[in-house]
Amino acid sequence: MRVIERNNVHVRGSGGRSMIFAHGFGCDQNMWRLVEPAFAGEFKTVLFDHVGAGGSDLKAYDKEKYSSLAGYADDVVEIGRELGLADAVFVGHSVSSMIGALAAQKAPGMFGKLVMVGPSPRYIDEGDYFGGFTERQIDELLQFLDSNHMGWSVQMAPAIMGNPDRPELGQELTNSFCRTDPDIAKAFARVTFKSDNRADLGKVDVPTLILQCSDDIIASKPVGEFVNRAIPNSEIVFLEATGHCPNLSAPDEVVAAMRTFV
Amino acid sequence: MDDPRIDDFEDMFENAPCAYITLLPNGRIERVNKTLLGWIGHTAEHMAGKRFSDFLNMAGRIYFETHIAPLLRMQGFFNEFAIDMVTTAGEPLQMIANALEGRDAAGRALFTRLALIKATDRRRYEHELLQARDVAKINLQSERETSELREQFIAVLGHDLRNPLASISAGARILGREAKSDREHQVIAMLETTVLRMAGLIDNVLDFARGRLGGGITLDRNTRRPLEPVLHQVIDELRLASPGRRIEAEYAIDVPVDCDRSRIGQLVSNLVGNALSHGASNEPVRVRAVTEDGLFRLSVANGGEPIPEAAMAKLFEPFFRGEVRASRQGLGLGLHIAAQIAKAHEGTLTVSSTREETCFTFLMPLR
Repeated sequence: MRVIERNNVHVRGSGGRSMIFAHGFGCDQNMWRLVEPAFAGEFKTVLFDHVGAGGSDLKAYDKEKYSSLAGYADDVVEIGRELGLADAVFVGHSVSSMIGALAAQKAPGMFGKLVMVGPSPRYIDEGDYFGGFTERQIDELLQFLDSNHMGWSVQMAPAIMGNPDRPELGQELTNSFCRTDPDIAKAFARVTFKSDNRADLGKVDVPTLILQCSDDIIASKPVGEFVNRAIPNSEIVFLEATGHCPNLSAPDEVVAAMRTFV
Repeated sequence: MDDPRIDDFEDMFENAPCAYITLLPNGRIERVNKTLLGWIGHTAEHMAGKRFSDFLNMAGRIYFETHIAPLLRMQGFFNEFAIDMVTTAGEPLQMIANALEGRDAAGRALFTRLALIKATDRRRYEHELLQARDVAKINLQSERETSELREQFIAVLGHDLRNPLASISAGARILGREAKSDREHQVIAMLETTVLRMAGLIDNVLDFARGRLGGGITLDRNTRRPLEPVLHQVIDELRLASPGRRIEAEYAIDVPVDCDRSRIGQLVSNLVGNALSHGASNEPVRVRAVTEDGLFRLSVANGGEPIPEAAMAKLFEPFFRGEVRASRQGLGLGLHIAAQIAKAHEGTLTVSSTREETCFTFLMPLR
């Protein structure tokens, strides 16, 4: 299986340096549609979908491999090797911030800088640590996901899986962005919200930018500050943007902060 | 209080049969209608200016932030999503919602409108469907495992039953070479008859078990190799095993028959075995195999008492046994399996029985 098809990789832009964008839980590479174009002039930009999301090859989904974020980080490293990335900028949203931290450790030299948009190394409270959620609330989320199928039905799956190059097949359907197989979405939610990557942050040895939104209930301010303290060479920028997806709600602010950093 | 007016749009908004919520781009509540206030128990003043997610349960908050908010930005709407608000009593208010984003000319979000309907029953129904699906999945998996075990058991059983039989057969052959007296020859012939009958029974039992549990009888079709020698061999074996009985055979196979040769051999063996058991012992069993009119026709006939009317209907059912002497009693699978083999070849197996003769006919299309 070729990595490029497996992860629905798209390379655009020009320039000596590369910038790779990784989406978080709940969507796909569409998440970057308002940010990536701003960098395509000076960077070679790389967009991809995690296996199980968007236009990735669902047949490549392996329960065992993707039961930890390390499996997703392995994919990022494979994409990097395939494209010959060196000293690239890794931009991760939400859970992909941690995937980027893991990938940077797995392949020294591949990523020269990390940008973390709304990162959290641990969503569940534990002792003095504030993550914002209790274990029970996360279990409720996993149950609740069964109620929302995002326009997905089993009958539709073959059309999407077999024709990634023909999006018109899916056009009549609502929610054509961010479609995902419900079982995989649930498994991704589990690995996202139950992971604990606090110990990995200290091992990040490249300059890191943390973008912290105001009013983000998924990754709140104390969590962003924790990440900033834990990563040796990091800086944090507090955005005016609210919510968890500033890359969509306030792309200009995100682009400006990133430009200063890279 | 005045009666409601049909053209009162304020009333249509406030007391609509669904809840309305308007959000600002920062996710805070601008306005809600009275229907929602009635359902949730809060006052309009309490809700205004708060985050919409403040009134959701935690699962709903995460879902809203990770799915609904980004999708609204990307496609401007999001229809038919489930969302749970929480009432003042702490009870879940289960709803299905549509959301629409209002934008300015530059595409910037101005507001988001939500229309929500209560969906308690629907959600319970969906939940039950999901549970039923999960249970069905688990049951199917366990059935598959059981079925695999049975298949393995049948294969091992067949192997273990055939091995000792092969030893008996080999022993009888060795003794046969050294036998001198008529009595010795008789005993050895009887041994060989029994071995052949036993081998046939094992084949039938295994086929029956597989046919019932797996995907029926599977065929290994072959047109290149001739069918006739296989029929010869089967009939010769039956002749050897049935001293004193006559089996007349007539062949006219002019074109290749697209069949599983060993299965057709088994079919003939079962039919002739049946004829020997039930037919008159002083009359021959007549086998005829011909190709004609695009068909392969194979018939096995015997004389003797006709099959009783009552038995005719059940003849091809498993475990059906006619009235014969105990020593020839089989399991009642021979005809059933012959019929299954016929069916697997897209053919038919029929029977006619009169005072003159009883005749089983297998017909299959030549391709």
